[in-house]
Amino acid sequence: MINKIWPLLLVLSIALMLIFVTGVIIAIAITNDGNKNPEDLAESAETIETEPASTANSILVLGDSIGYGVGDEPDMGIGKRYAALIDPDNTITVVNLSVSGAISADLAALVAAPENAAYISAADLIIISIGGNDLNRLQYQDALSLDAAFQEIVSPYQEHLEATISRIRALNPEVQIALIGLYNPYPDQDPQKSQKLFEWNYQTRLIATTDKKTAYIPTDEAFNYHLQTYLAADQFHPSSIGYQVIADALDRILNGID
Amino acid sequence: METPVLKVANLSKSIKNKEIIKNISFQLNKGEVLGFLGPNGAGKSTTLRMLVGLSRPSAGTVSICGHAIDDDYVQAMAHVGCIIEGPDLYEYLSGYKNLELLGAMSQHVTKTAIDDAIALVGMEKRIHDKVSIYSMGMKQRIGLAQALIHQPDLLILDEPTNGLDPQGIHEFREIVKSLAKDTGISVLISSHLISEVQLMCDRVCIINQGMLVRDGAVTEMLSTGEIVWVVNNPCQGQRILNEQFQLDARITTQNELIAAIDLEILPKINAALIAAGLELQTVAANNTTLEELFLSLTNQKTIH
Amino acid sequence: MLNLIRNEVTKLLLKKKLFLIIGLLIIFITLLSYGQQYTYEKNIDRFENLSGAGSYDWKSLATQRLDDLEKRLDSPYIPDDGIASIDIEIKQLRYFIDNDINPITPSAAKFSVDFVEQGISLLIPLIIVILAADLVSGEFSTGTIKVLLTRAVPRWKILLSKLIALLLMTTLVVLIMGLLAILISYLFFGQWGFDEPVATGFRLIDGQLNADAVILVSRFEYTLLIYSLTWYVAIVIAALTLLISIIVDNTVTAIGVLMAALIGGQFLQFFLSDWPIVKFFFVTNLDLIRYLTGSYQPIPGMSLNFSIITLGIWGLLALLIGFQIFNRKDVLV
Repeated sequence: MINKIWPLLLVLSIALMLIFVTGVIIAIAITNDGNKNPEDLAESAETIETEPASTANSILVLGDSIGYGVGDEPDMGIGKRYAALIDPDNTITVVNLSVSGAISADLAALVAAPENAAYISAADLIIISIGGNDLNRLQYQDALSLDAAFQEIVSPYQEHLEATISRIRALNPEVQIALIGLYNPYPDQDPQKSQKLFEWNYQTRLIATTDKKTAYIPTDEAFNYHLQTYLAADQFHPSSIGYQVIADALDRILNGID
Repeated sequence: METPVLKVANLSKSIKNKEIIKNISFQLNKGEVLGFLGPNGAGKSTTLRMLVGLSRPSAGTVSICGHAIDDDYVQAMAHVGCIIEGPDLYEYLSGYKNLELLGAMSQHVTKTAIDDAIALVGMEKRIHDKVSIYSMGMKQRIGLAQALIHQPDLLILDEPTNGLDPQGIHEFREIVKSLAKDTGISVLISSHLISEVQLMCDRVCIINQGMLVRDGAVTEMLSTGEIVWVVNNPCQGQRILNEQFQLDARITTQNELIAAIDLEILPKINAALIAAGLELQTVAANNTTLEELFLSLTNQKTIH
Repeated sequence: MLNLIRNEVTKLLLKKKLFLIIGLLIIFITLLSYGQQYTYEKNIDRFENLSGAGSYDWKSLATQRLDDLEKRLDSPYIPDDGIASIDIEIKQLRYFIDNDINPITPSAAKFSVDFVEQGISLLIPLIIVILAADLVSGEFSTGTIKVLLTRAVPRWKILLSKLIALLLMTTLVVLIMGLLAILISYLFFGQWGFDEPVATGFRLIDGQLNADAVILVSRFEYTLLIYSLTWYVAIVIAALTLLISIIVDNTVTAIGVLMAALIGGQFLQFFLSDWPIVKFFFVTNLDLIRYLTGSYQPIPGMSLNFSIITLGIWGLLALLIGFQIFNRKDVLV
């Protein structure tokens, strides 16, 4: 019986081996495709046309849609509201370089881009809202292993955030940085995922402590019990009230109660 | 002079600086049956393994039909078949499958050769059964068959009757003997059973403690074999032996009649004595000399 | 030579080892498939219960993410290379939304990769070890090595025929594994999933995971690639097992040694970032799959190339040493 299937076995095996060898070669090719230099990454960003701030009082807002102010009235957001709190005379310049949907990698690239260096050096306060879009990706991981998936997302986040702060510090040794913490827009979701939010914020806090002039601004507790009013119609971004709450928190932490 | 079927020269083996085979040399000619005799631990198996490439000699040469084992391995091995402390068969295959598998490894083994070998060892009826259900005797027969399928000139058998009952030993011996007689194959058989060697071999090498201590024809060694008769009239017996059979019989102090004879004529002698009216009380071998020789040569109380 | 190889394959097949392996695979795959299906259903249930939403609305979440991504694409700050990976994800999301497939739905194709991902460090090497461990040592312990070697065939040829037979059978086992994984999981999930787009092509730049050159392949191609890497790992393990089988006359000891190495290697993973020499050990390089899925912590110096070369060197050395030892070994059984 063996004698009859032997030629078939032999041919099948050899054919498979050839296929697999090809597969290995392709896998190598894919992971080696083109070898770009890391420096190229920074240089290929385009230039933008906004006047750099020239006054002494300048706030720079960086990050994602929350930094941008999505959900608030037009041309408001954290930066403007905070500026209004501490400077009713409107002499403070607010520059907003936030991009909706940005993740920590984007932020790191942005601060590394040479054309943004001027803004960073000129700022007196840099407000950063980032991480929500990184963490949001957790939904798309396989349901099987939450912890491993979380690790995969939080590690690059940490690296990029640290890189961002280093770069800012290198350009502007004295500027105050404020990291806006994440809040939970879905309190009824999977409690395990909610816990990940706490862990996430904790990691951000740890990174804040590594820099002397970086403050962590929590939003989670404030938002938790007032989601109806603090969230915008999309039930995700803050509403105007929500943004004001964040601006208040910024004020209290940075400036104290006077 | 014809090339000897097996030529061993100065064969030695050391393990961990201890020499266990010391300078063994002998040869086997065509058609001979050579016995390797020695006590357990003498080095018979070690030597035989070196002859078939299972073990590496530390020194010396081995040639089979003129082909050296180290330079011309394939040619040399083509002329020899062996059983080394067997039987070593694949238990999960049938006897036939075993032979087929092993036959496929050599160029010239045909189906006829396999069938002939099976017929020779008398296993036609059970050949397609799994080896795991064979009796020891059947396994040994298949073991012999695998040594024969490529029609070698030399057959090396290392303790091939281990584990067989007397019937099995006898049958095996008969097969080998007729094989040697019919095909002219040369046989090297090792054993620690003197009787076996005596019955099968033309020549014998006695091995002890890794050395070759005696090498000679069995008949020479047998020529001093003696038989002891206890008869009612030893003198008459002596006369009959000396006159009728040209023997050199003598009478011992215990009134026993002793003569050195070839065992094959013993029945005739006994018949003659009885015909002459003598009463045979006992007939016994006077310690086959091969055994005496063996024991005296290999006298050892401890294993070195 | 062909005859010798055929003999060895015959022995491998008739020893019924293959059935044991297939049996093991069936058990594991069935368990894992069931587990995945069960977990998936439970997760959907939980999500539905907790979120107060009527049903798990993956589509709106996916659509929102798609929006976000498209907005990011418009931003001038995205470096050119970042565009590629965003593009990829957009394409993937569009596929899922258009075909109405929840991206985390298990499918047969996805499972076949998951199974190998989980198993490549321990289960799959174990299976290969079962196949290969008694290739030489078994012949020694039953004594058949004597009847095998006292033929008019040089020793190296005999070992080579065993090696080739082993490679042939290993290749077939990888195929069987893939087929079983796909077929059995299909019974549970009811989805083939072969034309789903999968992102791969993660690279390491300066020790950081970089997703810029990521491309989309169909899950079918992806599965083939993953199984090719699995095959490579399998044959390296086979070569190593052959070596151990030669050195250690005893099959049980051979299996023990290899299992100790595999399990010990798992522990050594923890030291990878601090103790550089650990990355040269073959066990830490077994997981080639992670390089394609992009889900791992980059260790300086370790890349797909590095791991493939390291494994290759281990395999070749094992073969060289094995042949040498086999050629000189005295058969004393």
